[in-house]
Amino acid sequence: MIAFVRRKLDEIRGSGEAAVTVPSMDGALKPNRLLEDAAVLREAPRPDQIVERGGDVLYSSGTGIFDLSGAEKYRFDAQVSALAAAPGGALAVGLADGTVRIIGGPHDGALPKMTCPVALVFDGPDTLYIANGSETFGSADWKHDLMIRGATGSVHRVDLSTGKGERLMDRLAWPYGLGLSPKGLVVAESWRHRLRLRTPEGQVRTVLSDLPAYPARLSPAASGGWWLALFAPRNPLIEFILREPDFRDRMMEEIDPDHWAAPSLVKDDTYMRPLQGGAQKHLGVVKPWAPSQSYGLVVRLDADFRPRSSQHSRADGRRHGITSVIETGGRVIAASKGGDLILELAGQGGRA
Amino acid sequence: MTALVEMKSVAKEYRGVPAITDVDFELNKGEIHALLGENGAGKSTLTKMMCGVTQRTRGEMLLDGTSVNFQTPAEALDNGVAMVFQETSLVPSMTVAQNLYLGDEKLFNRIRSLNIAAQTFLQSLNFNVNPTTMVSALGAAHKQMVEIARAVRKNVRVIIFDEPTAALTPEEKHHFFSLVERLKERGVSIVFISHALEEALQIADSITVLRDGALIETGPAKSFDRERIVRAMVGRAVEGSSYGAHRAETRAGAEKVLSVQNVSMGTIVKNTSFSVYAGQITGIFGLIGSGRTEVAKIIAGVVKRNFLNGGEIRLHDRSVRYRVPRQAMEDGIVYVTEDRKAEGFFETMSIAENLTMGRLAANLTKGAVVTRTEMMALADEWTTSLNIRAIDADARVIELSGGNQQKVVIAKSLVQKPQIVIFDEPTRGVDVGAIAEIHQLINRLADEGLAVVVISSYLPEILNISDRILVCRAGRVVEEFSPLEADEATIMFAAVH
Repeated sequence: MIAFVRRKLDEIRGSGEAAVTVPSMDGALKPNRLLEDAAVLREAPRPDQIVERGGDVLYSSGTGIFDLSGAEKYRFDAQVSALAAAPGGALAVGLADGTVRIIGGPHDGALPKMTCPVALVFDGPDTLYIANGSETFGSADWKHDLMIRGATGSVHRVDLSTGKGERLMDRLAWPYGLGLSPKGLVVAESWRHRLRLRTPEGQVRTVLSDLPAYPARLSPAASGGWWLALFAPRNPLIEFILREPDFRDRMMEEIDPDHWAAPSLVKDDTYMRPLQGGAQKHLGVVKPWAPSQSYGLVVRLDADFRPRSSQHSRADGRRHGITSVIETGGRVIAASKGGDLILELAGQGGRA
Repeated sequence: MTALVEMKSVAKEYRGVPAITDVDFELNKGEIHALLGENGAGKSTLTKMMCGVTQRTRGEMLLDGTSVNFQTPAEALDNGVAMVFQETSLVPSMTVAQNLYLGDEKLFNRIRSLNIAAQTFLQSLNFNVNPTTMVSALGAAHKQMVEIARAVRKNVRVIIFDEPTAALTPEEKHHFFSLVERLKERGVSIVFISHALEEALQIADSITVLRDGALIETGPAKSFDRERIVRAMVGRAVEGSSYGAHRAETRAGAEKVLSVQNVSMGTIVKNTSFSVYAGQITGIFGLIGSGRTEVAKIIAGVVKRNFLNGGEIRLHDRSVRYRVPRQAMEDGIVYVTEDRKAEGFFETMSIAENLTMGRLAANLTKGAVVTRTEMMALADEWTTSLNIRAIDADARVIELSGGNQQKVVIAKSLVQKPQIVIFDEPTRGVDVGAIAEIHQLINRLADEGLAVVVISSYLPEILNISDRILVCRAGRVVEEFSPLEADEATIMFAAVH
């Protein structure tokens, strides 16, 4: 009863869980221009995920998988939504139609269909972890899932030798990244802005929370720790809209998703977007600190998942929508889905 | 020059414990004499004897060659000796004008005339204070100005200033120094107690250094430099207090402990956001009125943020909203106030009682009754740990020097076993030796993994002690710097532009 009254009071005065607030980007997340200044390795339409297989760097873009020279390696009937490379050279590919295919190696073939495979990671050649973003929407409809405040995502472990699968975690709010650490399986839960760790014993705990942006894929760093890509920023307008179900229902019903007041991968200058005018521009120049709907952010985490440094492309930049980052062969490579670029990032990034 | 005031072999004992012993002091006509020393060195005792607040145990005081022994401050004032205290003695429920003329009222007073006279007088001193404002509505700096104006108005021959610039902004300090020069030109002799050694070197004609109640050095200011003064004050080389030393590295900090998100309070705190990390010192710099103290008080539950849309404070990912400080203390958040006399301790209670009050507030006592043995053990532990110099743990806090009072305030907070400690101006009115000790303590707390916030308007201190520096302006945090890359100019630029 007291909890109910408190919740109602919070709703009235905009505090507690009803607060329309966003954590600040400070400390290790202090904004800089490192992503804007990063070297361009390749221009590519909507690059999504990057993996390293046997020394080759591959990235997915649309319905194909390419290497860094731009040569097409594989082509599919549906958009590629996730990618992972096994130690033996096999490739796991998640497709927007829900299929997960294993290419090469002893387990070549297709796995049972899912709804929305958005992240994959191999644990040895015979075990594959799959993050299914949502039970309701496909990977292209991520905005819909956010706007209904979906929490139907799950993580599965598949034994490739037997084909048997096991649901490890469910009721997740868009699990968009997977990583294997000595402590267990790490899951980036986008809509709850946090990283969760599932220990081998099955216990689940939050290891990083209250992020100022929506986390995407994560990958191990060469010197220990992790690289985490965050694909869009949180901002007060969207936090407010996420607490207004009637508004969201009408918006989803009547407006093209490209023009929703929702996070975006792409910086778009169309006048049909909200948040134009003084909020974003001053004397015709976009303010770097404006509360934008798209942003570019890569965070270097230590082994305990604490942010140590970060690289940004701010509201006045274009290299937004970073969905994947990996470190391989001494290089840190990121995919800017919103900027249509494959980038090579500078070392450790901004200051710790 | 002729000596206007001469103190000959004066001594003062409190309960048999000597505060000063056989000190000789001379103040010449039209001279600015800086009196320096650590807290507890005997500066205040010496000057209080000069102006009749306390009486000497032995020795002699000559005023213009005549032996005097003032029994009250009023008697000293009648003889032209006034003292401006560090803590103001104004009446908060009266206006500035009424305070200025307090004690000089006529049988019938016209408020308008009083206000006009006060306005004219304040303008002549270049003090921008409205005479019709209630003193309770004034900030610390303005109160100090009124206090100074009240002393100057009496046309005295000797004015003793105890830490007059501690609460003043750089511009106000400039006005104050001009005023001191004008008083000097009029033949007024000034005793100037300060912990800002640069100020003493800048404006004083003579310098006297006391240590442990004894005269160490005295002479023309030109013969002193900072090093010599510090050596004389402390009797040793002071480590950790050398402002301006280049920082080689900073602590990276552990997990985010506190997240202040879009917090607002009236027109003072406006939509401010920042984070605080464990194992790190977060420095907050801002000018007076920038909202830095207020946001700290909101965090600690001392004041409340806006009832509607006042933002959010998350402690370890849990939204918190404290109605009273006790709730914050129970969650491990303590605020060490900038105004220790008004908010920091119970001045007539002993050190032991104050520390026990701190523990009671955090609900850390074992039962409803606290025994005297427990109280004394607690006090002994912390007086030793923080090197609080007092006769014993039964000593009343009001009897301690400023630096030791500050240590009591800090100890009163630390007995609450906090996880976040917010220091607001931790070294204001504290001597150079105690500053070093307090800085070492703050560093130790961060090394032990506590999240530490230090609010200061003294840039060298912020640069010296912080692992990251947040700058407040007009009610919000506007910029963040690393002390490795920032300098005073860039921080000040962010604070004012």
